[in-house]
Amino acid sequence: MISEKAVAQKNATVDWDVLWERYGITAVLVVAWIICYLLVPNFSKPDNMLNVIRQSAFVGVAAVGMTVAIMSGTFDLSIGSTLGLCAWTAVVVGASTKSVPLAILSSALVGILIGIINGLLITQIKIPAFITTLGMYFIVRAITFIITNGAPSRNNAKDFIWWGNGSVLGIPVPFIIFIVMAVIMALVLNRTEFGRYVYSIGTNDQAAWVAGVPIKTTTMWIFIVVSLFESFSAFLIGSRIYSAGPGLEPDFALNVIATVVLGGTRLAGGRGSMLGTVAAAILFAGMANVLNLMHTDSFVQRVAVGLVLLLALSIEGIRQRLFEMSSRKITKEVKVDKGPVSNPR
Amino acid sequence: VNNRINTFWKSYSIVVVVGVVAVGLSVFAPRFIQFENLMNVLSNASVVAVVGLGMTLAIASGNFDLSVGSTAAFASCVSFSLVPTLGVPLSILAGLGVGAIVGLVNGAIITELRVPAFIATLGMLTIVRGLSLIYTNGKDLYLYGNTEYKILSGNALLIPMPLILALVIAVILGLVVSQTRFGRHVLALGSNFASAKRSGVQTTLIIWGVFAIVGFTAALSGMIVSAQVLTANGRLSTGLELSAIAVVVLGGTPLNGGRATMIGTLMGALLIAMINNGLNLLNIPIFYQELTVGSLMLIALAINLSKGFKLASLFRRTV
Repeated sequence: MISEKAVAQKNATVDWDVLWERYGITAVLVVAWIICYLLVPNFSKPDNMLNVIRQSAFVGVAAVGMTVAIMSGTFDLSIGSTLGLCAWTAVVVGASTKSVPLAILSSALVGILIGIINGLLITQIKIPAFITTLGMYFIVRAITFIITNGAPSRNNAKDFIWWGNGSVLGIPVPFIIFIVMAVIMALVLNRTEFGRYVYSIGTNDQAAWVAGVPIKTTTMWIFIVVSLFESFSAFLIGSRIYSAGPGLEPDFALNVIATVVLGGTRLAGGRGSMLGTVAAAILFAGMANVLNLMHTDSFVQRVAVGLVLLLALSIEGIRQRLFEMSSRKITKEVKVDKGPVSNPR
Repeated sequence: VNNRINTFWKSYSIVVVVGVVAVGLSVFAPRFIQFENLMNVLSNASVVAVVGLGMTLAIASGNFDLSVGSTAAFASCVSFSLVPTLGVPLSILAGLGVGAIVGLVNGAIITELRVPAFIATLGMLTIVRGLSLIYTNGKDLYLYGNTEYKILSGNALLIPMPLILALVIAVILGLVVSQTRFGRHVLALGSNFASAKRSGVQTTLIIWGVFAIVGFTAALSGMIVSAQVLTANGRLSTGLELSAIAVVVLGGTPLNGGRATMIGTLMGALLIAMINNGLNLLNIPIFYQELTVGSLMLIALAINLSKGFKLASLFRRTV
């Protein structure tokens, strides 16, 4: 039984939760950036700060696609191994044809193909997305190892590595691509039919089905979008490190999911923001950078990443608990005021 | 009769598949059937089966534990580092204790901070992995000459110890699920959390218990692997969480919770170990082994469709 006062209070607190979900991580990023700028030696150097935003793009681009999937209440674990395959394709095609557009196109085609396979397994054979993409994680990884025979390939053509290492007007190219893609995807989510379908499936897929949302088609597109964005990430990483091979970043999928979730997108679907995803990607990159500048070893960074993720996601739960504790007090006061409480219906 | 055949097929199809694969392998690769090779397969299967059994309980309660790989590494590093001071039996116990404590921390994050289990254990995956690398400073821990630790991986009367441990845990957890109040409450939680809570199930305690058991089995699995090579390091068992989930799924435990089959999980682990062994005996490159794990999972699920499972249900805040 919750009294009216408690209900009113609950309405007030829900706003705070929504605010935290939408802008919390952006605010944290701004505050943390200012603190680091003032306190951490060498953080404030322009080269260093540009490096942070450059690094944020490699996970960030894939996170933009993953945001769409998570908003619809699903996700894709297979991108961890698709990353290796797409990056390898981009590097090899780029090296043999000496053409960057062909490299991007071929890696995107591989990504789209895997997205279509994922989508078909999920929508036509109706295997749960978790298992489909987990199975595809193993399969694509094995295929990458078989095709490449376990060996990485190199490509250090100037126009190829420019995409990962170059700058335009001082701003790193990967970051520009990241921001452009985030803006485009935010517009798609908020302004188009597809975006509304994604939100409605994530909020309540049965209601969406009843309302005539084409769930199968939308799900197909969602998995194609995820793989497509992941293939752009793969191209940028291959270009950044001049090479690619199987076993590239095996934890990539979990890193990307962690970034999206830290950005305030609900894993259960239906709510989330692209702004948060961008902020979270920059925050993770900045955290790694600051820990490096402070000479902590990379092991501590793993602990820090996990702690930040848990902290950000437990804030809503802690707030709920505090609210329940205070509302329990209120109901007790009500009992004292009104004497014996009648049975609630 | 038709119906009965159907249910029989659903619960024991994996046993039939294991049998068919075993017969096939012994025909095409005669070395498969030799005693030593069979024991080798069984002990490989047991390493994943041990943690898979714990994971079965977690999945039956409607949760996942993604931190098992890191827990396995941390527990075996702690256990190995304590051997010089505490001796082998006590340090094995200490390792199991570490696993259970990591599990309890998982449980506390889920129930007290109300983080969905998927995220809580995802966070713990990186945290505990980092801790075990910090603890060992990234180096290997050796136990040269101290073969006492081999008690976890050696043979008892020609039967590999990992197999005995896996069977014991399967029997215990099987009995726990079918015979005890704790087990019934775990299944109740998995099939309908809200109504379980309303009927007075102590959800917090159950979740803590489930995750402590998963942590315990993860620690045991990690220590068995370390005992086999008498080496432990912070990178041990990377990716164990995904293979454990694969084994459970192959065994036929539905992802939406409420049911658990320990025999299925044992068989799932055995199937994967047998196929990997067969590929080795047939001189097929090791890269193909992951291909079989992935395709088997998809085929098993495509045949045995678990209807009504929704991913979103995993991300509800428990409690």
